Order: sequence, then C-alpha cells, then structure tokens
Amino acid sequence: MWRRLSSQFPTLRSAAKSNRLSAATLSSPANLRPTVPFIARYFSTATGGVVKKVEDVMPIATGHEREELEAELQGKDILGINFPEGPFGTKEAPAIVKSYYDKRIVGCPGGEGEDEHDVVWFWLEKGKPHECPVCTQYFELEVVGPGGPPDGHGGDDDHH
Amino acid sequence: MIESQRHSYHLVDPSPWPISGSLGALATTVGGVMYMHSFQGGATLLSLGLIFLLYTMFVWWRDVLRESTFEGHHTKVVQLGPRYGFILFIVSEVMFFFALFRASSHSSLAPTVEIGGIWPPKGIAVLDPWEIPFLNTLIPLSSGAAVTWAHHAILAGKEKRAVYALVATVSLALVFTGFQGMEYYQAPFTISDSIYGSTFFLATGFHGFHVIIGTIFSIICGIRQYLGHLTKEHHVGFEAAAWYWHFVDVVRLFLFVSIYWWGGI
Repeated sequence: MWRRLSSQFPTLRSAAKSNRLSAATLSSPANLRPTVPFIARYFSTATGGVVKKVEDVMPIATGHEREELEAELQGKDILGINFPEGPFGTKEAPAIVKSYYDKRIVGCPGGEGEDEHDVVWFWLEKGKPHECPVCTQYFELEVVGPGGPPDGHGGDDDHH
Repeated sequence: MIESQRHSYHLVDPSPWPISGSLGALATTVGGVMYMHSFQGGATLLSLGLIFLLYTMFVWWRDVLRESTFEGHHTKVVQLGPRYGFILFIVSEVMFFFALFRASSHSSLAPTVEIGGIWPPKGIAVLDPWEIPFLNTLIPLSSGAAVTWAHHAILAGKEKRAVYALVATVSLALVFTGFQGMEYYQAPFTISDSIYGSTFFLATGFHGFHVIIGTIFSIICGIRQYLGHLTKEHHVGFEAAAWYWHFVDVVRLFLFVSIYWWGGI
C-alpha cells in the first residue's frame, strides 16, 4: 500500500513534503526509508566495526527466524517492500511500488491531510501504470523478484 | 533470502489436534456427568476422555516446539501471537478466580440465619491463618523470586544458573503442594461442612490445581533450558510460565488475606 511517512518521523515527513513540491524536477521519487529496526540497534551496540553473525547472537536460530536475525545484523530490511512510502506520485515522477511478481494489489490513500481519501484498491501490473480515479496519484510497478503470475502456479513458491 | 521469505508470518500446516482435543473434551465432560450421576460406563468414558485430552496436549505442544525451536517459524512478529494469547488467557483466569472470591464474600459479608448469622459459621472450627497458611503464602512468593532469578540468568546468558534457579522454583512449588495436602488432610472441616467448607475448598482447591499446572509448566521450562532451547533473544515459553507463576502467587495472596485471615477471624 502506498503510504506516506508516518507521523512518528516528523523531520522525515517535512523532507517528504519538500520532496513532493519538487517532485516534478526529479526523474524518480526518492524512496525514503526511515525504518531502522530497533533490534538492529540493539545488536550493533556490543561490537564496534566487527560484523556480528547469527551464530554469535543466537546459535540455535534456524529457518525464517535465522533469516530475520541475519538481515537485522546486516542492517537490511527484508520486509521493507511491504511498506512502500514516499512523495505523491505524478505522471512525471510516478510512485514506484516494488513487487516480487508481475502484478500486485495496491491501495491509494490519497494525498496528505485534507487530500486524504478512503483507500482505493486496484491491481497494479507490470508495464501498465495506474492513475487513481479519485486523486490522480500515478503508480508504476517495479518487479524485483522472479516475476510471473502471483498465484503460485508455475512458480517456485511453496506457500510457506 | 528474499526468495525464501516474503513475509514474516507462520502459516501453520493442517493439524489433527484441534478436533482430537475437542473430542477429548466432549468425552471428558459427558463422562464426568455420567460418572457423577452413577451411570454405567461413566468412569470409563471420563478416563478415556482425560487420557485423550492429555495425549492431545502433549503432541500439540510437541508440534509447537518443533515449529518454533527446530524449524524457526517463530519470527519476532509471530512471537507476539502467543504473548497476547497468553495474556488474554491469564485475564480470563483472573475472572474465573474473581467468581470464586465473590462466592466467598457473598456468603461471608451477610451470613444467613442457617449458618447462625455469623462468619465463620456456627460450629465450624477454622485453621489458624498464622501457622501453615502464612508459611504457605511465603513459600510461593519465594518461588516467584526464584523464577525472576531464572529470568535474569537467561537474559544474562548464564544457562546453567537458569537451570538451578528453575530447580529452586519447582522445589518450592512442591513444598507448597505438600503443605497444602497436609493442611487438607488435617483440616477440621470438609467441603460438605456448610458454605464455609464449600467456598474454602473450592477456592483453595482450584488455586492448588493451578499451582500444579504452573509447576509442570516450570518443569518443562527447566528441561528446555537444560536442552538449550531457551536463548536470551527468544524464550517466549519461559516468559509465559513466569507470568503464570506470578499470577498464581497473587491469587495465593488474596486467598490468604480474604479467606484464611479475614474469613477466619
């Protein structure tokens, strides 16, 4: 879902606002990502420059739990794709929504403050930009995964 | 990494345990009613139901341990589920015990003529609250302190010390249960001796039952701690056991103050 920066980050929000005003001059909207998991901070306090491994933190970790810990230790946000946010998308600078597949359900909440509207859901497909019928926000899909249909048929998705 | 994990949730596999647990509960309740009304086969159905229920509890929790500890499905966000669930469970337990205390106060605050208009009822010899009952309030409180010691040991990564602390927790719990059994054996009244006996044994009996559940929970945590399942980053099962233990502690405090002390003087 295309969400603007939450109110917990006032400084970044003002940055987003100024970005929105100058969006026409940018080739693509800046992808603001203020979310630093607090765990990452927690884990990185102990050692200075040395990169910690999962084995140092939780030797018995396995599966998804291990992947999550590893990403946190490396400062990566593996689920950041789930919370797209940034300035209002226009035809010149569309709002880019990342997707593992060739299409993804996206919801448009409208602009900021007075311009906000009830979330309008739609399928955003590769190569087919979408304009919100309510607020004219412009969206484009960027495929970052294996592509193909998202229903799992023919893909390597094992539904876990 | 992204290829394998596209969300941080745990989509559980189909499991037979919800339906087997339901059938076990059905057999237990129907068997219990039949047994108490002296129907033929009541005891058999009750026993089968209880065995079925205990078996389901064992295999279901075994599956949860496999999914969390050995398959790593319990990510940070998944751990929130059992936490909220357990907090809600304890809230429901608080309401359950509130009803038992309410039954006691309802009968003691305005004693009826049938029991002589006094509390404790006429002819009932009560226990001295400052003997075994007071001691048996301090013992579970000390056990609660020991479980906090175990928690600090886990957070500090001192695995052996956490096992020792849990052994102390469980030992104190067993001493409590022993004293409580002794008290029941020596009590000058029974559950059928007026409303006093009924409310006394209902409230203290259900508390004792919860102590036994908490003791088993702590023993399981001790075994898992010994096996290295509990780490300083991830020990939801232990946290739940500790919350439960503190809850049982608080109930004992209320039991002592309102039923043993206030209700016995």
